[in-house]
Amino acid sequence: MAMPDVTERPRPAPGTPPLVQLRGIAKYFPGVVANQDVDLEVRPGEIHALLGENGAGKSTLMNILTGIYQPDAGEIIIDGYLKSFASPVEAIAAGIGMVHQHFKLVRAFTVAENIHLGWSETPRRISAQELEARTAQLSASLNLAVRPDARVDELSTGEQQRVEILRVLARNARVLILDEPTAVLTPSEARELFKALKEFVARGNAVIFISHKLDEVLEISDRITVLRGGRKVATEPTSACNEKMLAKLMVGHEIVLDDLRARGPNAIAKSNEPVVSLREVTARDSTGHTVLNKVSLEIAGGEILGIAGVAGNGQKELSELLTGMRAASSGQIMLGGRDVSAASAGDFVDFGVGHIPEDRLRSGLAPALSVTDNAVIREYDRAPVSLGPWYRPRAAAALARRIAEAAAVMVPNYSMPIRNLSGGNQQRFVARREMRIATKLLVAAYPSRGLDVGAINTMMRYFVELRDAGVGIVVISEELEELLNLSDRIAVMFHGEIMGIVDSAGADIEQIGLMMGGQRAATPVRAAAMVH
Amino acid sequence: MAIRLQRLPSASPAVALAARAIAILLALVTAGLLLAASGAQPLKLAQQVLKSTFGSGFGLEDVGLLVTPLILTGLSVAVALRIGAWNIGAEGQFYAGAFAATGVALFIPGPSIVMLPLMFIAGALGGLIWILVPTLARAYADVSELITTLLLNFVATLLVYYVATGPWLDPGGHALATTARLKHDMPEFIGIVHWGFPMAILLAVITAATFSFTRWGYEVRIAGSNPQAAKYAGMPFRRHLIVVMLLSGAIAGIAGMLEVAGTVHRLQGGISNNFGYLGIMVAVLARGSCIGVIAGAALMAVILNSGIILQTQGVNTSTVLAITGLILFFTAVGDELAHFRIVSSKPAEA
Amino acid sequence: MSDLRHLSRRRLLNLGAAAGSSLLLPPGLIRSAHAAAPLPAVAEKDALIAFGHTGPVTDEGWTWSHDQGMKAVKAAFPQVKTVFVESIPYSADATRTYRQFVSENACMVFATSNYGDFLYDVAKRSPKVAFYECDGRNPLDNLSTYYVAHWYPTYVTGVAAGLMSKSGKLGYVASFPVPSVFSGTNAFLMGARSVNPNATMQVITINSWFDPQAATQAGTALLDNGCDLLFGIMDEAGYLQVAEKRGAKAVMWNTDIRRYGPKAYISSIVIDFKQYYVGEVKKRLEGTWTPSSTILPMGAGVDRDAWGESVPEDVRKQADAVREKILGGWSPFVGEIKDAKGNVKLASGKRMSEAELYNWDWPIAGISGL
Repeated sequence: MAMPDVTERPRPAPGTPPLVQLRGIAKYFPGVVANQDVDLEVRPGEIHALLGENGAGKSTLMNILTGIYQPDAGEIIIDGYLKSFASPVEAIAAGIGMVHQHFKLVRAFTVAENIHLGWSETPRRISAQELEARTAQLSASLNLAVRPDARVDELSTGEQQRVEILRVLARNARVLILDEPTAVLTPSEARELFKALKEFVARGNAVIFISHKLDEVLEISDRITVLRGGRKVATEPTSACNEKMLAKLMVGHEIVLDDLRARGPNAIAKSNEPVVSLREVTARDSTGHTVLNKVSLEIAGGEILGIAGVAGNGQKELSELLTGMRAASSGQIMLGGRDVSAASAGDFVDFGVGHIPEDRLRSGLAPALSVTDNAVIREYDRAPVSLGPWYRPRAAAALARRIAEAAAVMVPNYSMPIRNLSGGNQQRFVARREMRIATKLLVAAYPSRGLDVGAINTMMRYFVELRDAGVGIVVISEELEELLNLSDRIAVMFHGEIMGIVDSAGADIEQIGLMMGGQRAATPVRAAAMVH
Repeated sequence: MAIRLQRLPSASPAVALAARAIAILLALVTAGLLLAASGAQPLKLAQQVLKSTFGSGFGLEDVGLLVTPLILTGLSVAVALRIGAWNIGAEGQFYAGAFAATGVALFIPGPSIVMLPLMFIAGALGGLIWILVPTLARAYADVSELITTLLLNFVATLLVYYVATGPWLDPGGHALATTARLKHDMPEFIGIVHWGFPMAILLAVITAATFSFTRWGYEVRIAGSNPQAAKYAGMPFRRHLIVVMLLSGAIAGIAGMLEVAGTVHRLQGGISNNFGYLGIMVAVLARGSCIGVIAGAALMAVILNSGIILQTQGVNTSTVLAITGLILFFTAVGDELAHFRIVSSKPAEA
Repeated sequence: MSDLRHLSRRRLLNLGAAAGSSLLLPPGLIRSAHAAAPLPAVAEKDALIAFGHTGPVTDEGWTWSHDQGMKAVKAAFPQVKTVFVESIPYSADATRTYRQFVSENACMVFATSNYGDFLYDVAKRSPKVAFYECDGRNPLDNLSTYYVAHWYPTYVTGVAAGLMSKSGKLGYVASFPVPSVFSGTNAFLMGARSVNPNATMQVITINSWFDPQAATQAGTALLDNGCDLLFGIMDEAGYLQVAEKRGAKAVMWNTDIRRYGPKAYISSIVIDFKQYYVGEVKKRLEGTWTPSSTILPMGAGVDRDAWGESVPEDVRKQADAVREKILGGWSPFVGEIKDAKGNVKLASGKRMSEAELYNWDWPIAGISGL
C-alpha cells in the first residue's frame, strides 16, 4: 500500500520494519463487536493519531496492543516479530507504554518514587537522594522537566502527566500511547507536551495519539487512522486531511456545526425575570478555603449561559451551588423569586433544576446499579414510579426505556449495571434524564468531556431544544469554541470569582483568554455587547 | 487456534448457579479423595450424610433448627450491605438480643402468649442497642463500623458469660454455667423445629420486598451503592445509614432471641455457636441478596449438619473443618469463574 | 514416661480400688434407689456405643482419660462398635450431635461433660437409649449421671501444697464458676490451711475447659500477682509449663503429665473411668441396665498421682497420712466452714454429705476471684 508521505521528518531507511503492525485484529464482547479486521501500522519517527467516536473501538485496540486484552483474532507484529502479550508487563518489555486518561500515580509518593516504583532497574537499596538524582538525570536526558522531590499530590495535572510520560519512557518505551492527553491540560501545557512528543519521535520512536479534538490532531500528527464501529475506515497522511473530512469519516456523514444561538420559529423568547440569581455568594470547602468569592449571576429562562475558565477555578463548586448540593457560606440564591439559600438538592429537583454533573460516574450515577435504577433517580418519588410509599419496578423500567429511547441509547438489558454502557451512552442517558426534570434550569458541567464530535453535536442539540422551551441553561466547558457557538452569554471564572460576562455574539476570544488568566473585564460587564 | 478465557463484567444467574453447583461437586470430589487417601470410605460416608440429612425427619429437623439463626444473621449482614456497611458484629448483637430476651423472661411475670412477643421486641431492641454506638460513630464521625462492631462482639460474649455464671445463674443448681430454663418456649412448628423457622423466612421475604418495592428501599439502594449519587439526588444518606444499620442489628438480635426461646431455652456462654460470623459467610454466599440469604443459609446449614454427621462417622473435627472450608473456597472460586467464558481465537486470514 | 512411675501409679490405684470395694466410701449416693424397669438386652455385635467429648481426645487430660475408658470397653467387648465426637461446643450443636448418635441407633450415649439441656432434651425423646452425663445433675429414667469424688485427693494435694508454698498464696485457673470448680478450690485451700492457716487462693476464670493459650496467660497472671503454687481444672498442661519456667510449683488434673514440668510437678488429680465404663456397658448388654447416679470414690476412679520429684519426703508422708485417714472414713469437710463473705455456711461439727460436696456452689473464706 503506497502512501504519499509528506512529513518533513527524517524517514527511516527503506526496509526498516514498522515499529508496530496490527493485522486483522478482532475483539468481541458479549453482544458487541469492539474491533473487527483492524489493521494499523505505526512507523518509527511518526506521531500517529487515532481518531474515532466514543465506542469506535480505539480504547479496545490500544488495550490489545498493551496486553490488557488479548485479541480474538489477528496478529501483533513488533519490530517485524510476531508477538503476543499476556499482560501489560510483557508489552512494556517490548517497548510499548501507555499513558492513560486517569493517571496511575501514587499520590502520597514523590515524583522520584513514582518513577522508580515497580521498575526492574530500581536498585534494591537506595536513598531518597539517589532516587531523586537518578530521576533528575532521566528528566534531563528525555527533556521532560519534572521536580523529583515533589509529592505527586502537590503537582498540577500537566506536571502529573509529565511524570506519567517520564515513567513510561524511562522503561525504554519506543512506542508511547497517549489517551486524550490534552483533555486535562491548559493550552500552554498542551503546547509543551506537543514539543516533547516531537522531540521523542525525532529520536526514531513513535507516538500513538488518541483524541477527539480534530484541530490538535491536525496540528500534531503525521498520519491519522480513523476508526468507526470497531473497524478501520481510513489511514491518511495528515497533510491530506481537514477537519470537515475527518469529522465525516468519524461519524459516517457530514456534520454541520451551525450557529446554535439562533432561535427556531416556535422558540419561547428569553424571559425578563431571571429563573435563578446569585447575589454575592461566597462558598468555602471543608478546610475553610474560599472556593467561590462573592459571585453574582443572573440566568434568564430561555437563555444559555456559558461558564468559561481553566478547570479548577470554581466551576464545579458553582454547579453544585446552583443545584443545591453545596451550601453558600454567605450571600443569597434566588430561584424563581424564592430564596433557596438553605434548600437541599431534593428541593432543587422539585423546583425543576436538572444537573449533568462533572463526573457522572462518581455522582450522577450509581455505576454498580442497573440501568433502570439509574434512570429513575430523579423521578422515583412521584407517579408513576411511586405510588405513596410504594416503588413500582415495572413503571421504573418503562421510564428507563423512554429515557433510553430519547437518548438513542441501545440497552440490551435494563437490569445490567449502567457501568456496562459506554461513556458516551452514559452521558446521553444522564442528559436525557435531567432534561425531563429541568423545567426551570439545567446545569451542565463539562457535558462534552470525553465525547466525540457526533455525541457533542447531539448534546448541543439537546440544550438548544431545552432553551427553546424556555428553560435556563448553564453550560460549564473548557471548549471556548463550543461555548461561543452555543451560549448567549459567557461568564469567565478565575480563582472562584467571575472575571466578567460577555455576550457571545461577536465576543473577542483574546479578551476571554485574558480573563481566563485572571484579568478583569476592562469594560463593565454588560458593555461587551456594545463592542459588537 | 488457541483457547482462552475472557472475563465478563457480570455473570448471568444461570451461569452463576451452574458454576456453584460444579464448584460444590468438585469440592466434594476433592474431599472424597482426601478422605479415601486417609483410609475412609468416602462413598459410604456420602451415603450416610445424605441419608441422615434428607432421608429422615431427624436430619431435616436438625437442618431446620440450624438454618433459622443462619437466615437471620445472614439477613442482618445482607441488610447492612445494602447501605454499604459491613456488620461484623452480628455475633455481638445476637448475644445482646438473647440477653435482653432472657432478662425479660426471667424477671417479668406473665403468660407465654404475652411474654413471647415481649421477648421478641426485647431481642430486637437488644440487637439494636448493641449496634447503636457503631452506627452513630459511623454516621457522625465516619468511624469504620468494621472495627467497632467487631470489638463489641467480645464485650457481648463476656457479658453473657458473666450473667450466666454470676447474677443470673440457675438458682436450682440443676444446670452449670447457665441461667434457669426459661418458662416461655417458642411453640414447635414441625418436630423440634420451632416457629422461629417460618418467622425467619418471612422476615427475609418482607425485608427483600421492602427493598424492592418501596421508595425507601430504592433510596437505600442508591445511597448504599454510591453515597455521592444519593447526595446528588437529595436523599438523606445519613438517615438511611442509621435506620438500615439499626435494622441490621435488630435482626441479629431477633436471631438471638429465637435461639434462646426456641432452641436452647437458657442463656449461656457460647450460645451463639458463631452464628454471627457464619452470617457474614451466608450473606456473601447470597451475594448480598435478602432472598438469596435463605438459600445461602440452607447451604450453610446442610454443610454444618453434614459436618456433625461426618464426626459421628469417625471423621475427626479438623478434617470436617477442612472439608467445610474447601466447599466455601470452591464456591468462591466458582463465583469468580462464572464471570469468564471460554473463547477460541483464530489468527486472521493472511 | 518411665515404667517405674507408671507402675507406682497403677499400684496406687489398685490399692485404692481395693479400699473402695471394701465399702469404706459407698458409691452412688446422689439419687435414691430407682425403680425403673431395666432396658432390654442388646447383642454385642449390634451394640453401638457413642461418646461425646468436650475437648480433643489428644488433650492428654480429661478427654484422653475418657477415651482410654472407651478403649477398655472395646477390649472387653471386641464386637461392640464405638464412635466418638470430640470438641463439642456447649451450644445447640451438642443437641445435634447427640441426636445424630440416636439416629445412628446407638444403644448407649456417654456425654463426658455436663451438657445440661442439650443432652437432657435428646434423652427425653429417646427412651430406649441409655444416656450418661458426667457431672450431670438432671437425671431421667434413661439418663444416668456419674462423676468422681475429686475433692478428697484434692484435699490431700492441698496439704502438700500448704507445706510447699512459701508465700502461702495459691493460684487457681478455673474454667467456669461451676460446682466442680468450687469443690476443687475449697478442698485444695482447706487442705493447705490445715498446715498453713494463713494460706489464701486467687482464682482466674477463662470460660473454657480446653484453651491452652488462655490457661497459660492466666497462670502467668497469677504468678505475677505473687502466687507461687498453681492449681486448676484444665484438660491440658498449659499452666504447668508456666510454673516450670517461672520456678513455681503446680498441681494438675486428669493424668500424669509431669514431663511438661518435672520440677514444678507436685501431683495430679488422676482419673480412671475404665472399670466404670466396662461395668456399665456390661449391664446394658445383659439387659440389667437401670439408671444410676454414681460418684467414683477416691481409690476407685480418682486419686492423687505419684508425687513429683521435688516433693520432699516429709511432705509426702504428711499428705499421705491424711489420704490414709480419708480412706479410713474420716472427712476433712466438717464445720465450721465460712464462705468468702464471712458467713457461716456449715455449722460447727456438721459433716458435709457427698451430695453437698458434689453441688458445692460457694467459695470458702480465703478465696478471691470466684
